[in-house]
Amino acid sequence: MAGPLTQRRKELRRHLWIYAGVTPFVVIAVFPIYWMLITAFKQNPDLYQMNNFPFWFNLAPTLQHFKTLFYQTNYGSWILNTFTISAWVALITLVTAVPAGYALARLRLPGSENTGIAIFMTYLVPPIILFLPLSRVVAELGLQDSWWALVLVYPTFTVPFCTWLMMGFFKTVPMEIEEAARVDGCGQAGAFLRVILPISLPGVLTSVIFAFTLSMQDFLYGLAFVSPGDQKPVPVGVPTELIRGDIYYWGSIMGAALLVGLPVAVLYNFFLDRFIQGITGGIGK
Amino acid sequence: MTGSSLSGGLDPRVRAAAVSAPVRSAALRPWRTQSAQRLAFGYALLAPAALYVLLLVGAPFLFSLYLAVSDANVGDPVARFIGLENFRSAWEMDTFWIALQNSVIFLVVAAVLKSLLGTSLAFLLLQDFKGKKLVRGLVVIPFTLPIAISVLSWKWMYDSQFSVINWVLSRMGLIGQFGTDGWPIWLGDPKLALVACILVNVWRTFPFSAIVLLAGFTSVPSEVIDAAKVDGCSFLQRFRHVVVPMIFPILMIGFLFDTVFTLSDLSVVYLLTQGGPGNATKILPVLAYQIGIQAGNLGRGAAIALFLVPLLVPALILVLRNLKRREY
Repeated sequence: MAGPLTQRRKELRRHLWIYAGVTPFVVIAVFPIYWMLITAFKQNPDLYQMNNFPFWFNLAPTLQHFKTLFYQTNYGSWILNTFTISAWVALITLVTAVPAGYALARLRLPGSENTGIAIFMTYLVPPIILFLPLSRVVAELGLQDSWWALVLVYPTFTVPFCTWLMMGFFKTVPMEIEEAARVDGCGQAGAFLRVILPISLPGVLTSVIFAFTLSMQDFLYGLAFVSPGDQKPVPVGVPTELIRGDIYYWGSIMGAALLVGLPVAVLYNFFLDRFIQGITGGIGK
Repeated sequence: MTGSSLSGGLDPRVRAAAVSAPVRSAALRPWRTQSAQRLAFGYALLAPAALYVLLLVGAPFLFSLYLAVSDANVGDPVARFIGLENFRSAWEMDTFWIALQNSVIFLVVAAVLKSLLGTSLAFLLLQDFKGKKLVRGLVVIPFTLPIAISVLSWKWMYDSQFSVINWVLSRMGLIGQFGTDGWPIWLGDPKLALVACILVNVWRTFPFSAIVLLAGFTSVPSEVIDAAKVDGCSFLQRFRHVVVPMIFPILMIGFLFDTVFTLSDLSVVYLLTQGGPGNATKILPVLAYQIGIQAGNLGRGAAIALFLVPLLVPALILVLRNLKRREY
């Protein structure tokens, strides 16, 4: 009779221990985001004073910072730039990485495994080594000071990563499907386009998401290649344009950062396991 | 019927071969043409990605080697070969040595902290408990938030006057009042600034360490653990002799990825302090950016960035060795 009760008590105790251990991590991870959120909605007199309890509103919340953002800064253009850049990058990544991944995984090209690894390794060549020569390339092409420069350079990291990702993905598609398509009279290209591609849609979608989220992680290229205020993407525009000398608009800065950052973080969150699998080469599957 | 006669036999050589040795070629030709076709198709599919990478990663990398031995700068597009002059002048620059030292300190201290935090978190997430998915989702936010954006939040939390960190520490009585010596100015004090930057890097990447570790742990089949238990291994023995060797490759890769990204990342330091106060937080990427873009000295900037290569190459080689072993 005492059995189930002590069992439950034990279980409860175990949970309490775990929660006690996990709570500090959650607080450390989430607090800066909470702090951004509340800063974005606080009135200035509430932000810049030191005596009140800072973790909640002491004056009524306000949308003033967002109004400033949209009416007095280029924030609207930055959002538009960010999405246009990402769309182009995703497109370029798709038309290059998906076929390449398929070729490397499926067409038994000589040395395909090594070629795949070589392409992936270029993902690890850091932007800090490439940005000076690329600045010359960008200037030669007349793309400096326009967001087209970023459309050109972001694929330097999305293409290697997504090629590797798709290579792993295509290897999991059973060979028989392709053979069946060939027997049914599909050509090489037909089998790829009409049979393999449709069933690989989840992998293709994952590549699009990474083209988008990895582009959002860049700061250096945007900083180095794009200086006009209306050409920047959000992660570059907010820190470089909203901080003027020693004058900070913290409410607007936090609002601007969060409005775009949070959706990206949530999206990335869902695909994080794929990312880890990608870089660890699928060992952890 | 052979393949060539079906398709009309357009290639005269094929037809000649078919005439001279009908039996052998009938067996060989479909295989041969199919394989040539397959290769052509394969290389056609591979070409765009390979070209992109060659032209915009491979060529620029070689170009950066060339820049590093030239006197290229932004104003004058004609670059002259000047040998190892850029490397020599970097070598003689005090700031370079400070930056190198800061980079190494940054890397090592951050790595120790994030592996401690990451390991504890991974062990916690290995347990079964209610709300685990939610906890996991919340805890990885620092890693998934675009870096330039999360650094801004820290810049505000490190504010010289309205720092929320100081507000809490001050109420707890751990530091003095604002305006006194006991009030830390995180980004303005040469002794604290590097610590402040390292903490942001740790905050951002400890979830990554935890998730990589977790992926490693869950890849160890429970039968293996059970077998070790049956053989009478204690928890520590199981951990040391069974779990660690099995997850070693994945740990290595996670660790090395992090090394590459931490060493080459400029955004945290650039946005928080721009390398200051003085040179207190100057790291190699910031120095390369300031000299290459802000001062316009492309050659010297490229040379400084290339000093990262010897630090990165061991990491790259180890990644390569582990990737070769990947299995599906």
